Amino acid sequence: MPAEDAAKPAPRLILKSQLDDMASLWPWVEALVAEYSIPADTAFAVHLCLEEAVSNVIRHGYRSQPNHTLTIDFAQPEAHHVAFTIEDQAPPFDPLAPSLIEEPPAPTPEDYLRPGGRGILLLRKFAGSLAYERLAGGNRLTIGFVLPG
Amino acid sequence: MQLSTQDLDGGVTRVELEGRMDIAGAAAVDLKMNLIAGNAKKLLIDLEKVAFLGSMGLRSIVLPARAVMSRGGKVVLFAPNEMVEGVLKASGIDSLLPIHHDLAAAMAALQ
Repeated sequence: MPAEDAAKPAPRLILKSQLDDMASLWPWVEALVAEYSIPADTAFAVHLCLEEAVSNVIRHGYRSQPNHTLTIDFAQPEAHHVAFTIEDQAPPFDPLAPSLIEEPPAPTPEDYLRPGGRGILLLRKFAGSLAYERLAGGNRLTIGFVLPG
Repeated sequence: MQLSTQDLDGGVTRVELEGRMDIAGAAAVDLKMNLIAGNAKKLLIDLEKVAFLGSMGLRSIVLPARAVMSRGGKVVLFAPNEMVEGVLKASGIDSLLPIHHDLAAAMAALQ
């Protein structure tokens, strides 16, 4: 019904390339979680992976320069599978690159001096699946999650 | 994010964090955490009411903790939920800051 459709969260979120714009990330995820009955643990992992991936695009891809945007698209390709696809127009950056995949040594306090120094590691640990694709003028990262049941 | 402090026996400062430690939450508590870390010698960071923790939130915990430890103080993490503890362990922070779920054990670790 139209009234219900109007209340549904949008499947796409557009963010500016600035960290404070990420404040709209959780309200969007929270609305999707409610709409698609995503369990709390998966919702946590979704928020974590999106925060790490998006902040990575803003800080490293766009080098914190404003006036760029990135998009996150939500999809539910199967009943027990949801996916978030992040697209940007930044220079190439593959978070799955072999040079980044090796398990880092035990952290030193200095690791935490770098903003989000553990972000890629957390992304890899908490995502159900990760797929990277280099686009003609940007990057596409798809983060998948399997829903229990 | 909400933050409150409480002085416990034995010179222990308990910092209770409540809310989501995402980028916005981390920014909201950074200044207060640094002020507390500037004075505390035994710091118990109570994470029981923290519903979310990302890498920026981790940073907001580790940097103040490091300041306390660099002055010879001690810091413990208390009662994170299962997912928050998963983030702490995945990032290896538990090797720097012990995690306790029993208050008596946490207090003993600070003495």
